[in-house]
Amino acid sequence: MRLKLASKFTLTVLVILVATMAANTLYFLRASAQLQEQQLVERGRALGRLISLVSPEAILGFDYLLLNDYTREVAQQRDVVYGVVVTPQGIPISSSLGAARPGEARPALERLRHDPEVIHLEFPIAHEGVQLGRFLVGLSRHSVQAELRHQLVIQALIVTAIVLFLSAAIYAVFRFNVLSPIRRLIAASGEVARGEYPVVEVKSSDEFGVLARAFNAMAGEVKQKQEKLHLQANYDALTGLPNRMMAFDRISQDIKRAARAGERLAIYFIDLDNFKHVNDSLGHAAGDALLIAIGKRLQGALRDSDTVARLGGDEFLVVAPAITDELQVKTIAERLLQAVAEPLDLAGRRMVAQCSIGIAIYPDTADTVETLMVNADEAMYQAKTIDHGSAIFFTEAMNVRMRERMRMQRDLEVAIEHGQLSLHFQPILVTASHAHHGAEVLLRWHHPERGMVSPAEFVPLAEASGEIVRMGDWVLEEACRAWSTWNNAGIDPGVLAVNVSRVQFRRRLSKRLAELLHTYRMPAQALELEITESVLLDDHREVADELASLRALGVKLSLDDFGTGYSSLSYLKRFRFDMLKIDRSFVAGLPENPDDVSLVKAILAMARGLDLKVVAEGVESAAQLDFIRARRCEYAQGWLFSKALDAALYTAYLQGAGAGVGRLPQEARA
Amino acid sequence: MRWLLAFCLAAGASAQAAEQELKLGVFPRRNAVETTRMFTPMAEEIGARLGRKVNLATSRNFDSFWRGVRESRYDIVHYNQYHYIRSSDAYQVVAHIEEGGKSTIAGAIFVRKDSGIKHLRDLRGRTVLFGGGEDAMVAYIATRFILLQAGLKKDEFKSLFAVNPPNAMFALQGGQADAAGAGDRALELPVVRKTVNTQDLVMLGVSPQFLHLPIAVKSSMPASERAAIEAALLELPQSERGRQALAFAAITGIGRARDKDYEPHRRMVQAVMRSDGTAK
Repeated sequence: MRLKLASKFTLTVLVILVATMAANTLYFLRASAQLQEQQLVERGRALGRLISLVSPEAILGFDYLLLNDYTREVAQQRDVVYGVVVTPQGIPISSSLGAARPGEARPALERLRHDPEVIHLEFPIAHEGVQLGRFLVGLSRHSVQAELRHQLVIQALIVTAIVLFLSAAIYAVFRFNVLSPIRRLIAASGEVARGEYPVVEVKSSDEFGVLARAFNAMAGEVKQKQEKLHLQANYDALTGLPNRMMAFDRISQDIKRAARAGERLAIYFIDLDNFKHVNDSLGHAAGDALLIAIGKRLQGALRDSDTVARLGGDEFLVVAPAITDELQVKTIAERLLQAVAEPLDLAGRRMVAQCSIGIAIYPDTADTVETLMVNADEAMYQAKTIDHGSAIFFTEAMNVRMRERMRMQRDLEVAIEHGQLSLHFQPILVTASHAHHGAEVLLRWHHPERGMVSPAEFVPLAEASGEIVRMGDWVLEEACRAWSTWNNAGIDPGVLAVNVSRVQFRRRLSKRLAELLHTYRMPAQALELEITESVLLDDHREVADELASLRALGVKLSLDDFGTGYSSLSYLKRFRFDMLKIDRSFVAGLPENPDDVSLVKAILAMARGLDLKVVAEGVESAAQLDFIRARRCEYAQGWLFSKALDAALYTAYLQGAGAGVGRLPQEARA
Repeated sequence: MRWLLAFCLAAGASAQAAEQELKLGVFPRRNAVETTRMFTPMAEEIGARLGRKVNLATSRNFDSFWRGVRESRYDIVHYNQYHYIRSSDAYQVVAHIEEGGKSTIAGAIFVRKDSGIKHLRDLRGRTVLFGGGEDAMVAYIATRFILLQAGLKKDEFKSLFAVNPPNAMFALQGGQADAAGAGDRALELPVVRKTVNTQDLVMLGVSPQFLHLPIAVKSSMPASERAAIEAALLELPQSERGRQALAFAAITGIGRARDKDYEPHRRMVQAVMRSDGTAK
């Protein structure tokens, strides 16, 4: 049984009061009983002394009638049970015990002497030192006990009245001074739980006053934190716009409202084009300033009923309810494009930004928040793919492609278990001697229905689904196992260069790599990790720490696709690499294209300055080989030497690799 | 002179009034309160019959009573037979009372049944408790007379004295004495029956019956006045009021008595006195 505080308190007070009062009453009654008994005994003694004083004359005169008068008189006194005069031998000579003759008083006297309710007193009767007899008097406790019972009843009534009065008074005081403040605080706590923050009135300076003040302070603080949390949870800290969560909530509400009103609403998924370039080239502060400015412009370009949210990074979302037709949707999209495209000054430089917009309309293409968002995202993806700075409506064709991608993602998730993935190896040669240096490890997916699927197609899918982590780990382990197999077979596989994704890099790659190298007894120098510039976009400290750990293992680090990024030079300065890989797009124009020539020459000069080795990718002609060899590019890979080979072919290649390019298998050149 | 005459007349009237009042003295065999309660109606009734106020005079004890007798302070006196014998020079008996319907009484010696005492002579060397002092006619003199006739003189047993016969009976039953001297009807007394198991006691000897307690008047009283008092006393049982007054005094009847009626008493007294060597 759960008792309320007031009940517990009242019960406690009642128990204490009852116990205290009962103890007090018992003490009083006990003292009263003792006093009354003492008074009774005193009265008996007075009687006894009187009788013993007057009896000698009667005894000496054998005046037993007078003695009887005495004993009768004594017996008539209140509380006296008997009065008996006995001889020194104990023979009763005068008794008040009813009509009994003195001689017959002895049995009655004996009976009374064993009665606990009777107090027995005895007084000697003497005359001039001669013992004449004794006067025995019995006093009944009955009236004392009756009086005690009477007092007990009175005291019980008084105690009950006092206890009830005190309990009521204490309860009233408790209720006023304790319960009321507690109830106010409980009510206030309930309001706080409902998201309201009342101020509790401070009525006293006692502990409850202190508690009320503390509660007010706490509620104020909670309110502030709640508001801050609400802001953090629902608004973007940088732009002050609603964030993804708030955007979803708004869309959800707008969908409900539209469903009720039979209206349509449009979702605009906006992604800034080349925002990474701004960040890399002008710094993060400039990038942030750009995002803030774009947010304001988007807001300025919309109706009051429309919502602009920042979903994260360079992605924005616009929700436009109560859309009448496609023309209105298109008009809004154009306004958004124009607002973004207006020139602005960033970090002292005037620049023009542009964005790609994907549009989805409720209920035309979807009727849930998630689907609308996915559709708008897909449309934006298409806009970005087809034409930067454009706005595209989500269509059924997009829907088909999206479904196809989703199916591919599902297939990819079981590709490892079904043995559909395999490693291919594209040899890397020393340009000066055509000696074998190693190979770049490439992943291939043999889809049971679609055949070979290009890494350019499935790697982005794997990255989007997170499958890239498991896949990357599989590639690393398979590469190590292959190296170990070759090595155990007495074949020198050279260096194996494995591409590492950005996601993989964030999962403590060095630790996993240490395990693999140890398991397959592969020297760290035989492994080269190819890292794209995207890896380096993340937190510099973590990246630097992980790169340092990898270097501590002895693994070589190579910056892949060099020249295609935005800040390659700054990365080279910030992080230490062993090798650069010139992207095939620069090599393709050699030696005719002067831009590519200049660029490649500059890269090679810079690499020499930074003591970096360089690998030229996509070398397909002797002229290209001659060009890079003449500019002291150390390594090259490409069809001129060999296509990517599966493990069996690459094994065969290795077995004849020592003779140089001329000894490459004929099929590898195909 | 006129003042002196008035004083003399007043004094004379007062003296006449004093002569008209009579004093009835009652011996203290009961306490003064009880005596007053019992004899006041009788005094009033006698007074009514005499046409004179009769004042009841009680005494704290026998000594003070006896002084009153010796000093002739009582006009009418009710006492025991021995008292009368001793005061017969100043008082003249006119009546005797009856108690329990009997006009005579006798002294008796009682013992406990379980005492083993079968004869009066067995009391030799024993303790005898008399239900009164040495001037108690029935409880002492008559019982001494019995013992004397049985051959027991005063110094052949131990004498103790109780206030009255019932007390002697109580003490006897309580083992305070081996024998008790009292009236022959002591065991019939309500107070004795109430407090003593009379079955435990037995009468060992009894004296001849003799006339009960006397009522005497002053010898100096005029004969007419003495006769009027005697008549008033003897008429008491004749009327309802008189019977009620007597009943109050535990007296069942009153009869005429003369000095010769108390000769047996005198003989017993003289026998005892002679035996004790205290003859007067």
